Amino acid sequence: MRRLFAFCVLFGFASAVWAADFARTIRATELKAQPYSDAKTLESVPARSRVEILKRQSGWTRVKTATASGWVKMLSLRVEAGTGARRGDSGLGALFNVASTGKSGSTVTTGVRGLSEEQLTNAQPDPKALQAAKRYAVSKQEAQRYAAEGKLQAKSVDYLSGGR
Amino acid sequence: MRTIRMIAMACLLGAMSPAIAFDFGSIDWKKAAETVQKVQKARTDIDEPQEIVLGDGIASNLLGAAPLLDNAAVQRYVNRIGRWLASQSERPDLPWLFGVLDDSDVNAFSTPGGNVFITKGLLAQMNSEAELAGVLAHEIAHVVRKHHVLAIKKGAQAELLTDLANDAIRQKGGDPKLAKLVSAGTEVYARGLDKNDEYEADRMGVVIAARGGYDPYGLPAVLQTLQSLNPSDSSLALMFKTHPALGDRLELLDEEMSDQFAGLENQPDLADRFFQALGAGKK
Repeated sequence: MRRLFAFCVLFGFASAVWAADFARTIRATELKAQPYSDAKTLESVPARSRVEILKRQSGWTRVKTATASGWVKMLSLRVEAGTGARRGDSGLGALFNVASTGKSGSTVTTGVRGLSEEQLTNAQPDPKALQAAKRYAVSKQEAQRYAAEGKLQAKSVDYLSGGR
Repeated sequence: MRTIRMIAMACLLGAMSPAIAFDFGSIDWKKAAETVQKVQKARTDIDEPQEIVLGDGIASNLLGAAPLLDNAAVQRYVNRIGRWLASQSERPDLPWLFGVLDDSDVNAFSTPGGNVFITKGLLAQMNSEAELAGVLAHEIAHVVRKHHVLAIKKGAQAELLTDLANDAIRQKGGDPKLAKLVSAGTEVYARGLDKNDEYEADRMGVVIAARGGYDPYGLPAVLQTLQSLNPSDSSLALMFKTHPALGDRLELLDEEMSDQFAGLENQPDLADRFFQALGAGKK
């Protein structure tokens, strides 16, 4: 909660609503005692079971079924839309949409900055902002130093085949 | 040029009906065909300097649509993560630039030449550095595979495109022709890439993040978080319009991320560093 609050402060979101996330299993799945494949199986969860999401760790999600709590593979879940909205629409978007579909048509939103399809198409270039952004770019060496500080180790991993 | 066209025509005729009894003497057909191909390629290829000029023009447009977040620490942090990941890609030496846009929309963009932007709206949905890495790596993959360049080429007359890019370089960006090219390019961002390009960027993104030493499940975790949001939220509109359905993207990652990633699950997600860097304190 503290995190969420800090985010709201940092990015100026006016309000945030926390709600539990729910998901359905997309296939029959084993509920494991620990987040790894050869951990003890607590129960079998049938496909399309509704579970509550408790936390995530790498490729595993801790969930609560009707009868137990344990770990399932993260990608065996399809999260329910809308149930866990961490912030609602600020209201501004809706306001602009209303304006842009009003009688005066699309011209209303011209000049209002934003990343809607229309605003992107009508954007005026801002080369100064690009120059400003470039001042934050870092060298390969600096990136490497920061990675090492985080104990990140580069390794060789092959690209996935894409089913081909 | 005319000669080449004639040779090309002759090649074509020759290939189609070998029985036609023209005597072309000592013409080397293979070489002629290669020349034709080479000339056509030169007219349609955009080289790296051209790609960078084009990308900067598009980046400048994106920044015209949404300003840069005024927070040096956050900008620097995202550049450090992004540059490290780009170093694990096949194009480590582009002038990579990463930026956070001050916009509540949930989205991320990359331009040709290595400019990558993410909105604060998307950043605010994340829970770790590995999740940020996953999203940046997806964008880096678009640049590595030149998805936008190819989409722009598809939409424009190739010949015209290269002429414009050349003019633009000669005139150092002050050219109205560049504006045309860039605006054609920017439209790709409103329209979206081919969905197979997005799937490919997902597949490559999880690998690039893993190469950087991160928990590779950061990208699918972000996609799942977005799945949990209210889909009618207007901040998701453009992202949803320009990308395949989250469920489809996750399903494909599910099929692909099996055995190969089992050994990478213990790679760090650096959640604490993420929240500290964003000024949110310890989790």
